[in-house]
Amino acid sequence: MTEAKAIEPPGDAPDILSLDGIAKAFPGVQALDGATLRVKAGEIHGLIGENGAGKSTLIKILAGLYTPDAGSLTIGGGRVAAGSPDAVHAAGVRFIHQELNLVPHFTVAETIFLGQELAGPLGLRTGAMRRAAERFLKDTLDADIAGHRLVSDLGIAERKLVQIARALIDGKARVVVFDEPTAPLTHAEIDHLFKAIEALGRRGIAMIYVSHYLAEITRICHRVTVLRNGRNAGLLERVGPEDTGRLISLMVGRDIGHLYPRHDHTAGAPWLRVEKLSLAPHYLDVDFEVRRGEIVGLAGLVGSGREELVDSIAGLLAPARGRIGIGGKQLRPGSTAAAARRGLALVPRDRRNDGLVLAQSVADNINLASLDAVSTAGFVRRDAAARRAGESIEALDIRPRAAATAARLLSGGNQQKVVLARGLATGADLFVLDEPTIGVDIGAKAEIYALIERLARDGAAVLISSSDPTELIGLADRILVLLRGRIVVELTRDAADLDRLVALTTGGDATEGQAA
Amino acid sequence: MSALATPGGRALSAAVVSAVPLLVFLALLAYFGARAPGFLDPATLILILKQAIPTAVLGVGLSFVVIGGGDDVVAGGIDLSVPSIAVLSAAIIADQLAFHGTGTLAAVLLGFMAAVAAGLCNAVLVTRIGMTPLLATLASSTAFIGFSKLVTANRRIDLSDPLIVTLRDGTVAGLPLGLLAATALIVIAIAAVHRSRWGLRLQAVGGNRDAAVIAGLDARRFVAQSFLIAGVFGGLASLFVLARGSGSTPGVAETLLMETVLATFLGAAFSPRRVVTVWGAALGAILVSALSIGFGSVGVDVFWTGCVKGGLILVVVAAAAVARRSRT
Repeated sequence: MTEAKAIEPPGDAPDILSLDGIAKAFPGVQALDGATLRVKAGEIHGLIGENGAGKSTLIKILAGLYTPDAGSLTIGGGRVAAGSPDAVHAAGVRFIHQELNLVPHFTVAETIFLGQELAGPLGLRTGAMRRAAERFLKDTLDADIAGHRLVSDLGIAERKLVQIARALIDGKARVVVFDEPTAPLTHAEIDHLFKAIEALGRRGIAMIYVSHYLAEITRICHRVTVLRNGRNAGLLERVGPEDTGRLISLMVGRDIGHLYPRHDHTAGAPWLRVEKLSLAPHYLDVDFEVRRGEIVGLAGLVGSGREELVDSIAGLLAPARGRIGIGGKQLRPGSTAAAARRGLALVPRDRRNDGLVLAQSVADNINLASLDAVSTAGFVRRDAAARRAGESIEALDIRPRAAATAARLLSGGNQQKVVLARGLATGADLFVLDEPTIGVDIGAKAEIYALIERLARDGAAVLISSSDPTELIGLADRILVLLRGRIVVELTRDAADLDRLVALTTGGDATEGQAA
Repeated sequence: MSALATPGGRALSAAVVSAVPLLVFLALLAYFGARAPGFLDPATLILILKQAIPTAVLGVGLSFVVIGGGDDVVAGGIDLSVPSIAVLSAAIIADQLAFHGTGTLAAVLLGFMAAVAAGLCNAVLVTRIGMTPLLATLASSTAFIGFSKLVTANRRIDLSDPLIVTLRDGTVAGLPLGLLAATALIVIAIAAVHRSRWGLRLQAVGGNRDAAVIAGLDARRFVAQSFLIAGVFGGLASLFVLARGSGSTPGVAETLLMETVLATFLGAAFSPRRVVTVWGAALGAILVSALSIGFGSVGVDVFWTGCVKGGLILVVVAAAAVARRSRT
């Protein structure tokens, strides 16, 4: 039962934009390897793929921010020089970035007209700009927003519409690229945004819609290009809600297994307990617990509230309501020091900026959180500190095996081991790992996974938050799925398969109601 | 759009907090009006306005930098050197007039050239070398003061040049000439920032650098221009500094700096959007001047006046920080 789209697909219209045979390598990674994207006028074209599939690299090449190693860009029949944002803009391509990038104290009219203001001999024509902005919002996006309102007084969805209007006001847009436009929006707001997008389609504007939310992709897009490992995994025509499964299997491919350690830990007493924790609009009424000797995974897209939830548990962010208990004792919210005293060790997602003091040595980084143990009367005993660091380096196989090396010189995987070693040195019994293997090569990944397994075997409670579903399935005993700020389902190890997990996080699973 | 949520309570309470400095000022003024004899006489009011002129012109110059760099005092746009530029320019003009027999026009031109060069120096430090404005202008300010001491040998120079005397005492239709000249400058600045394309773009650069760059603006050029303009206003203010003091006096830069920063950030409380504006800086200067004269006429110890002004700066900057937090 394919739902009729609000606007007809463009049929056999010629391509208005085509990226052909695009290749792009970064040090150590072939991000794109002959990827192709062709879009017709008036079409809403979905672009999907897992993290690392090459979506954002492809969009950045289209934007002229990266120069491709190979391939061509054609817009409206003419070749456009790669690597030139101005040329792409002149050819009529507009980008609606995920970040709003608006001036908070500007009016709607000022925001929309910034860079092409209406002015007369007496200066800015404020009234004319206001009326023109209101008319443009109404005619083009079917939105009623008063032109004199301040951006800071607008809701998120209204800001999104203003952002779109500002990209289109010059009337020269032929292709509009939407990058995760709905991440912060509620259902009603998404409906309104989609009406605006469909209104653009009726004007013959082509749209590229980049999103992780498969339910939205199948609802609004005519065709979908799927990327995997930098190549085209497929192109689906006449997409409808029944295609979700096919899209997932095109996105995922399957090669899990040897990377992950054997499970041989057993869950003990409840240790971390989260009750009715809320911080609107990020996450709402979150309840769960993690036992000693248990690994619990937290899945959810960017914008699902996962990052904020993890930050709240670790004390980086104060929740608005609810309670966090560790080992039966209440945790004072919003304090990393209080969390550390209760034996919580955080491995943050941005290890270079938040996890390490890059200029300091490996030894200093390892001992940073547990200096008391190697100090006498406030003075660090250098021999004790060096001995402990050496033990950690040995146990975790940190390379190079030199405690005095500056942390910034280590590879990503070894830096992550240093962060883990610091947590271990504090004697922590609750580990919160946020994207523990992001930016880490495959060999180091396997070592980190083995370490995590060992933490659980030694009786620690482990919470892993990750955007990599294979990692969660490979490691966790249970996986909690966050969708738009709520835990919609808890999957046990036996019930978690990759297709199902991806479907649940992307809101594309029709059975989520029963599963929850 | 009824389905769309609008942020509520926090914005309201932030609006109340950001009005606090203004309320404190108005309360103080009401107190002076009640306690100080003759505080509300036309003659006192004119005096308040006249005394406010140098601060107002400097505050307007500073407001260009704050508007173009954003109102985060540490990371955003700030130019601590505007008063020192005025003092340097005033020192050069006074020295030329008093000891070198230079003509009025040539002396003023020399002072102005120094001011523009100083503004250019700040622009280069911030936009080419990449120093934070706070540190760059703190350092350059010290250097400018040093130059002015070299020029004057740290002595007071009395002036009786006709231009300076006319600027101090002249009247047009019963109104002080200096006041009219300063008002004209301020009106031009308001038109440039709040009524022109260039001004809207400058505001965008300060309000959200990324948004301005995405709109195709060369943010660095706007920031450089704002420092240059601040230098020009420093040069213009030097004439009013000379007129108010009937010559060049060492050591005025410190007071001027405090009053300029206070006036400019206090001015944000007048703006409905709670941001620094050109006209807000000018109004702020008048309030600061009223405060000084008010304290003088109720006979408060001059050292206490300094304490109170310092405290007010804290209140103003704290209110700005609260307002900024609620905006993000």
